[in-house]
Amino acid sequence: MVMTIDWTIVPEYFDVFMRGLQMTLLIAVISIVLGFIGGILIGMGRISRNPVIYGLSTIYVEAFRGTPLLIQIFLVYLGLPQLGIYVSSPLVAGLLALSLNSAAYQAEIFRGGVQSISKGQMEAARSLGLSYNQSLFSVVIPQAIRNALPPYTNEFITMIKDSSLVMTIGVLELTLRGKLISATTGQSIPVLIFVAVLYFVLTFSTSRIMRVVEKKFAIPGMMGSE
Amino acid sequence: MVEPILELVDVKKSFGDHEVLCGISMKVMPQEVITIIGPSGSGKSTLLRCMNLLNEPDGGKVIFLGHNITDKDIDINAVRAQMNMVFQSFNLFMHLTAKRNISLALMKVKKMKKQEAEELAIQTLNKVGLSDKADAYPGELSGGQQQRVAIARALAMNPKVILFDEPTSALDPELIGEVLDVMKSLALSGMTMVVVTHEMGFARDMADQVIFMDQGLIAEQGTAEQIFVNPQNPRTKTFLKRILKEVGALDPGIPSDFVPDAENGQDNP
Repeated sequence: MVMTIDWTIVPEYFDVFMRGLQMTLLIAVISIVLGFIGGILIGMGRISRNPVIYGLSTIYVEAFRGTPLLIQIFLVYLGLPQLGIYVSSPLVAGLLALSLNSAAYQAEIFRGGVQSISKGQMEAARSLGLSYNQSLFSVVIPQAIRNALPPYTNEFITMIKDSSLVMTIGVLELTLRGKLISATTGQSIPVLIFVAVLYFVLTFSTSRIMRVVEKKFAIPGMMGSE
Repeated sequence: MVEPILELVDVKKSFGDHEVLCGISMKVMPQEVITIIGPSGSGKSTLLRCMNLLNEPDGGKVIFLGHNITDKDIDINAVRAQMNMVFQSFNLFMHLTAKRNISLALMKVKKMKKQEAEELAIQTLNKVGLSDKADAYPGELSGGQQQRVAIARALAMNPKVILFDEPTSALDPELIGEVLDVMKSLALSGMTMVVVTHEMGFARDMADQVIFMDQGLIAEQGTAEQIFVNPQNPRTKTFLKRILKEVGALDPGIPSDFVPDAENGQDNP
């Protein structure tokens, strides 16, 4: 059966779309932030001179990067309760899985940033009497994160889109809302296109915001500064 | 008796199978300027980096103000705060202004207040003639200016000795002079300095002691006059002959008495 495309569905269900958008934004922001913090911790492990810390963080990164995010979401939502670990809601399970996954990717972004900084920076700091940690936090990491902003932007955009996977465990975010509206009304094309447009608004804003951040933190006299 | 600031006793260092330092002993006395010369790969930079343990010696002792700093219970950060280094590639912190490059260690290591540290930073920049560049980032400075900031960064720590690792080798020829001038005024002010360099003019004019290194050993050691005018070791002669020919070709202002003997002098344009 051919249905005429009815765009009035969009204003009609606008509130529902917006609730979905809100949830998606919340999930993306929280998992990006938790993933960023986790990524720095695990990334520090990846540059650690301690073989145990290095080994564990490497296993973490390879495990989360090398398996499907969807399986990770199911494992957290369905697997943890089987181990007796209580997960209060699909949202919490989804946030946990997304954050753990993003931390693995952001750890590698962080490591790449640190390794882009010349060894001489660390040596100069150490030769002035700064400790290894002081040198890392005052000299290396501030430059490393600046250099890593473009790949961080990629990861943030990926997270916004991949947050849609938590619909599979019943989190009422944008994609699941859209799917429900389209099932109720049969208007798949306008609904899905509008959902896609809303994702694009989020990702495009992210990329613009990150450009501003890059400019703000650009080091004068270096590539990328004005 | 005056105690040496720094003394190396039979320092050895290998990278893999390659023995870079085969047992070096030397003393650095207060207010002394020592220049270390020698062919590439002779271990000059490694020797310097063994002094502040950027490279850990495999054997021997590094004695700084009477303490063997290769001991495990020595606080190496406290030692390095008094024995600063100037690098061939400047290694200024690229994300900090000239002023903050200097104030960072003053605040983190010497625990100075921010205002105090920045005032001292500007005073020190003044000494290297760059007080007007206090708020410039390294990327906005020429190589010569960057190296002068790096010298100021070391100087501001009020160190007992400054180690210079080929400080002019990465500079365009026209920028070498300004850095050497700063180093000369530092030497004249009584700063103790150990300088690895290919600048034979500086090595000759400023050094109290010249060390010629070859194949991981001190091949010859003496006053500038002994080494440059009357070298004893054939390796020293060969090295000086070769490098002065190169330098002479670049810089016709090099005096002819620079060249060890008359025979070589004829080769020198």
